[in-house]
Amino acid sequence: MFEPFVDVVPSFFGWLNQGPLTLTIFLHTIIILPMIWIYKQEKARLEREE
Amino acid sequence: MANKSVWSDNRFWQRSAAWVTGFASVLLIWLTFDTSAQISMGNDADLKNGVTKRVPGPTVINYKITYEMDTKRGHEVPVIGGKEKFFGRDDYSEEEAGALLHLGKLGSQAKNCMDCHTLLGNGAYYAPDLTKSWLDPAWGPEGSLQAMTGKNTREEAMAEFLQHPSQYPTHERMMPNLGITAEEAKGLVAFLKHMSSIDTNGFPRNFGKIQGAVHGK
Repeated sequence: MFEPFVDVVPSFFGWLNQGPLTLTIFLHTIIILPMIWIYKQEKARLEREE
Repeated sequence: MANKSVWSDNRFWQRSAAWVTGFASVLLIWLTFDTSAQISMGNDADLKNGVTKRVPGPTVINYKITYEMDTKRGHEVPVIGGKEKFFGRDDYSEEEAGALLHLGKLGSQAKNCMDCHTLLGNGAYYAPDLTKSWLDPAWGPEGSLQAMTGKNTREEAMAEFLQHPSQYPTHERMMPNLGITAEEAKGLVAFLKHMSSIDTNGFPRNFGKIQGAVHGK
């Protein structure tokens, strides 16, 4: 599942480019999780405004 | 119980879009600096001390370059070996080698090599990919192209071909005579030798297996 990291120069972007799994984990961390957090905040706000 | 759904709420989408756009901008700026660091050219000291750079310094023309399979990375990588004469010399200074590469680079642009060839992924596939052309066994001591030009070294054979391409039947699409002078040809060969020493993560794919194609069936 995880291949050994063998790039000439170790880099965050090299890790990102290792395969579909690392990319998926990364995109979920930076897009999906913050959106869930924003969703909860906005929901609480809408309920307060009712 | 809220009557209004969060999904139809403007603020939710605005904040999400602002976050994603902002983060992507930061990431792209970071990527720019990360890339510049990785593609910066090495120097003579790096070569002497065996420091591996993706793009070695210009004096790499003083060294023998081979293309070897790296099983860990799953593709061939250029390996810089011991000294090797280039047009009879292996003591080009950083300035001389740099000037030669510069001449070759300008020559490749003036003669529009990329109209037909590919250099480091840019150009066309009408004619062979030149990214690793220096390593092509056909230009080597046993190679058919070196034999064709009647020269004894890789660089002399390539330079001879570049000056009189229309004399040598190579490809079914023959290279036209571009009026390349002896000095320009020397620069172009230096430029190609340096280019072949760049670690391109195995690009072009399968170049290491070219033996079969060159001495085709």
